[in-house]
Amino acid sequence: MNEKPGMSIIVKTTCRIILWVVFLYGFYIILFGHLSPGGGFGGGVVLALGFLSIVLAYGRSYALDWLSIPRLEKAEAGAVLLFLVIALLGVVAGGAFLQNFMSKGSLFHLYSSGVIPFLNIVIGLKVGLSLFLVAWALTEYDSEDGDEE
Amino acid sequence: MTLYLLCYALFLVGLYGLITKRDIVKIILASGIMGYAVNLMIVLFGYKRQAIYPILEKGKPVASMVDPLPQALVLTSIVIELGTTALLVALAVRLFRKYRTYDITKIRRLRG
Repeated sequence: MNEKPGMSIIVKTTCRIILWVVFLYGFYIILFGHLSPGGGFGGGVVLALGFLSIVLAYGRSYALDWLSIPRLEKAEAGAVLLFLVIALLGVVAGGAFLQNFMSKGSLFHLYSSGVIPFLNIVIGLKVGLSLFLVAWALTEYDSEDGDEE
Repeated sequence: MTLYLLCYALFLVGLYGLITKRDIVKIILASGIMGYAVNLMIVLFGYKRQAIYPILEKGKPVASMVDPLPQALVLTSIVIELGTTALLVALAVRLFRKYRTYDITKIRRLRG
């Protein structure tokens, strides 16, 4: 093990430049999910890959300083709650579970699908964070010693 | 019909790997191939000849699109497959920590 964790400086610099583009692309896919291919799941996967590139390029210990894992776990659990709140607002507005209660806007514009974009954002948050946390939980084994026999 | 048979063949490739391979990583990959074959089959159920992608755009007739319902179902299936694969990988990591091998014929002491 060398003293600097993570990969070489080329990988680190490239990751630093590309990371924000990756996040931007993920948010674009989430926000335009009701107009074009994509949506909460696809955009969430892109977000998770952005988080994972930090861990891969900079190493686990640096990522632990940079990202607050307990806070991410809370945000992941909170996303489910937020989905439930939005879904129950449909009931409060006098309809069924997950019923649309907002204006539908005009077709083919960004503001055109009532409550669906907000659900997409919540699902994107949830998918992105949970995918990242699954991979993170798997890397935790790597740093521990195996309990051999 | 040929396409369905090819899907079935892909499924059998996965099943063959699942049954005959000894490496746990290869078994996980084989189960993934089986899942992909099933997803492909479900998407093919909604396929129409000469049809285009089912996304609403200006001045595009709805009648010329493929059926979007199987694609929406497959999205759910992909998510579940992801969870299954994550569980399998976690189990493989646990097994590797315990036995220091991925060969299932060497993982035999199942007690304790």
